[in-house]
Amino acid sequence: MRIAAGILLLLLVPALVTAQPLVITAPAAPGGGWDQTARAIQRVLAETEPAASVQVDNVPGAAGTIGLARFIQSERGNPGALLVTGLVMVSGVIINGSPVSLADTTPIARLTGEYEVIVVPAASPFRSLADLVDAFRKNPGSVSWGGGSAGGTDDLLVRLLAEQIGLPASSVNYIAFAGGGAALAGVLGGQLSAAVSGYAEFAGQIGAGQLRVLAVSSASRVGSIDAPTLRESGIALDLANWRAIVAPPGLSDAEQEALTARVTRVATSVQWRATLEQNGWEDQLLTGAALRQFLLSEQARIEDVLRRLSATNARAPTTLAVTLTPSSLPNAITIAFFGVLALTLFTAAKPSIATDREGARMAAAIIIALLILPIAFVTIGFVASSVLLFVVAASTLRARPFTIRSIALDLVVGLAFSITIFLVFTRGLGVALPGLPW
Amino acid sequence: MSELVTGFAVALTPSNLFWGLAGTTLGTAVGVLPGIGPALTVALLLPVTYNLDPTAALIMFAGIYYGAMYGGSTTSILLNTPGESATIVTAIDGHQMARNGRAGAALATSAIGSFVAGTLATLALSVTAPLMVKFALAFGSAEYFALMVVAFVMVTTMLGESRVKGWLSLLLGLTLGFVGIDSLSGRARMSFGIPYLLDGIDPVIVAIGLFAVGETLWVASRGPAIEELLPVRGSLWMTAAEWSRSWKPWLRGTAIGFPLGALPAGGAELPTLMSYAIEKRLSKRPEEFGRGAIEAVAGPEAANNASAAGTLVPLLTLGLPTSATAAVLLAAFQQFGLQPGPLLFEHEPALVWGVIASLYIGNVMLLVLNLPLVGMWVKLLSIPRPWLYGGILVVASLGAFSVHRAAGDLVLMAAVGIVGFLLRLIEAPVAPVMIGLILGPAAEQHLRRALSISQGDWTVFATHPLSAALLLVATAIAGFGILRRPPAGLSTVAQSAKAGIESKP
Repeated sequence: MRIAAGILLLLLVPALVTAQPLVITAPAAPGGGWDQTARAIQRVLAETEPAASVQVDNVPGAAGTIGLARFIQSERGNPGALLVTGLVMVSGVIINGSPVSLADTTPIARLTGEYEVIVVPAASPFRSLADLVDAFRKNPGSVSWGGGSAGGTDDLLVRLLAEQIGLPASSVNYIAFAGGGAALAGVLGGQLSAAVSGYAEFAGQIGAGQLRVLAVSSASRVGSIDAPTLRESGIALDLANWRAIVAPPGLSDAEQEALTARVTRVATSVQWRATLEQNGWEDQLLTGAALRQFLLSEQARIEDVLRRLSATNARAPTTLAVTLTPSSLPNAITIAFFGVLALTLFTAAKPSIATDREGARMAAAIIIALLILPIAFVTIGFVASSVLLFVVAASTLRARPFTIRSIALDLVVGLAFSITIFLVFTRGLGVALPGLPW
Repeated sequence: MSELVTGFAVALTPSNLFWGLAGTTLGTAVGVLPGIGPALTVALLLPVTYNLDPTAALIMFAGIYYGAMYGGSTTSILLNTPGESATIVTAIDGHQMARNGRAGAALATSAIGSFVAGTLATLALSVTAPLMVKFALAFGSAEYFALMVVAFVMVTTMLGESRVKGWLSLLLGLTLGFVGIDSLSGRARMSFGIPYLLDGIDPVIVAIGLFAVGETLWVASRGPAIEELLPVRGSLWMTAAEWSRSWKPWLRGTAIGFPLGALPAGGAELPTLMSYAIEKRLSKRPEEFGRGAIEAVAGPEAANNASAAGTLVPLLTLGLPTSATAAVLLAAFQQFGLQPGPLLFEHEPALVWGVIASLYIGNVMLLVLNLPLVGMWVKLLSIPRPWLYGGILVVASLGAFSVHRAAGDLVLMAAVGIVGFLLRLIEAPVAPVMIGLILGPAAEQHLRRALSISQGDWTVFATHPLSAALLLVATAIAGFGILRRPPAGLSTVAQSAKAGIESKP
């Protein structure tokens, strides 16, 4: 059956054999920068190579390191697989202690970058970066920097800046927010001395004159941003939140070159230009030996700053917020939880509502079905596992002696329901589900 | 007011009207169906609305919230099971009215009362939200932290019969909230080396587990239930006497529901109970209460709708969820990269006011859906219970899986479902788990941020007047027991409501 269908497909669509099917892994949930990059490539390929089949697979988690690990493990030697990556993954690998890193992949191309800006509120006494750096140097703790999550691009920029002016990275009073946008309230309200993030996050407030840009992290001036670079202000530092695409390990040179050529074609197409424009991404195409060199140097400088940071943190808690370490609250709350749990169990020794004996059996049957479900979901697919769950739940809740008839009826209803839901979600709403087992 | 006009321009576009109608219809359906509520429905829809315009999606979600408050009463009146926790109180007298052959009047007073209360409370929302925003702009991390402490204290004090059990649920939620990478230091916490846990526990999966799986297990454990669906008898129009007995409870219910919804008291249960108690005290015929008094339907039904609007005030202006549904709605905003709070009104006025305007329109839609079309919803109640819960489990597992397309989420869903079932067994309230899980990480971040900015000086919480005042309020509530017990009479109402629902005819 399967072979017949395959032959039929091959006869009907000869294009399938000529174009390499491509799976692009976005190691993040839909919606973020990596996902957008993967989907942009998919869109451009759909126009430039109409015969090609391109899929995007989201494997979110732990700053992309879960996706990276899975990619390296399961795609080794597959020239039809690509992974979107970027600066945040380099630090994620170090922070999460990931056993695999970007060095285990085959670099293909760096595609885009976004520069960082350092901003202060319009009313701030800091007129220039020199003012801010002077205050920072005199009393590092007195300058509070806000930006995105710890270990992200914003955090790295401030730490690298501190080291450039001769301060330890751990002296930075960095206050992490969910993103640059979330730090906005803090800097506009004057609670933060300065904020750091991608230009796009602050563009509205900069345009409205509520924020002043002190510096931009590019190597040379960027046309659209009216501010000096860090280098112009005497700090030998530039940093971009870059995004790149890599292939699995174990590819031949020819395969590697073919992929590089294909991605380069995408990144130089008219459609890609339009995508860059639309998203406010900077074109930073880099391939070949230069890319390998770039990745090595990024890896080295980020590793250095993070190593020094964690070394000082481990020796002595930083001067900042000494009263609360990251683990003090979790420990206190967990202890309190178990205390209250014990109290509840002792004071109300028995469940206050007596459970029906038959009811207990019914609940147990459903619990067992639920525990089998995750395995069933990935092995026999959505429809079959849903029918299983439906029939178990329905026939236990029915609470009559089972008859063949009632189970058959539940089976029919469950099957109809599951197939309808499956079709609605996969066809109608575009949610990919593990398919039927055949 | 000009913002509201802009909002109507947004809400009245054909596509947004469509999403509003979809939301209110779906909301009424989940309100009618026992075992599935607005928090769960919004959670299930999150993964499929990624690609939708945020305004459209949020208009639909708000419609679901309002719709569930309308729909729940139909089940409470016609079936001896409440459709929603918000309509438990309605079941006492509403079901009695139906037994006395006055189902039509009971449905009418709850639908019209819901409409009156929903519209008045939405008006109150439109007026108070901009005022709150002005106030909230002055909030820094210290103030936010103090506010969240008030929320924690209130949610545990006001929900359920026992404070200890409230704290148990809250602490469980707080503990789960710590799992994963600490966003302030980048360190993994309580993840026991399991990569799956590094990203933390997703509140959406927890909502699905607690509300869908926990509820199904609970229903199953009660053993075979006997239910009697009463037909809609009597005119759907009220007599003059019924009108005159209804309008005051509607207004009183609104006055109780709106402010209590805005307080972090965990949703509509408390306002409906209070409305019932007050109506009983003010009634000239208190002996009719429990035997089918129309005031006992009109008041609580108005109160639950008004509380839904009240909940939106702190949610939109401060990013503070005060009920389980609001907690899931907050997750919905965050999915679109929007952070509710004073800046949302500044950055996305069209979205915020479009959603508020859609509530006025939604109320009109819901009045039509729930009064002339009530027969349609009654048919939903004839779905056999085993198939209903089987279907709920299938949809729940689908929803949990599609959030991240990870089978691990199904394990989490089952585990949380079992915990939710155990919490129900010991009669602990479930909503504080959601509040703790969502607000806990935010409270911790604000605490540590406030301390970082002050360079470790704890006195910031006392020297900022607003945060000092809020912390005093929290201490007062917790320590001196102002609200130690629900006001006299409430617990008896709650008891009789439960007894009424659990006794089999």
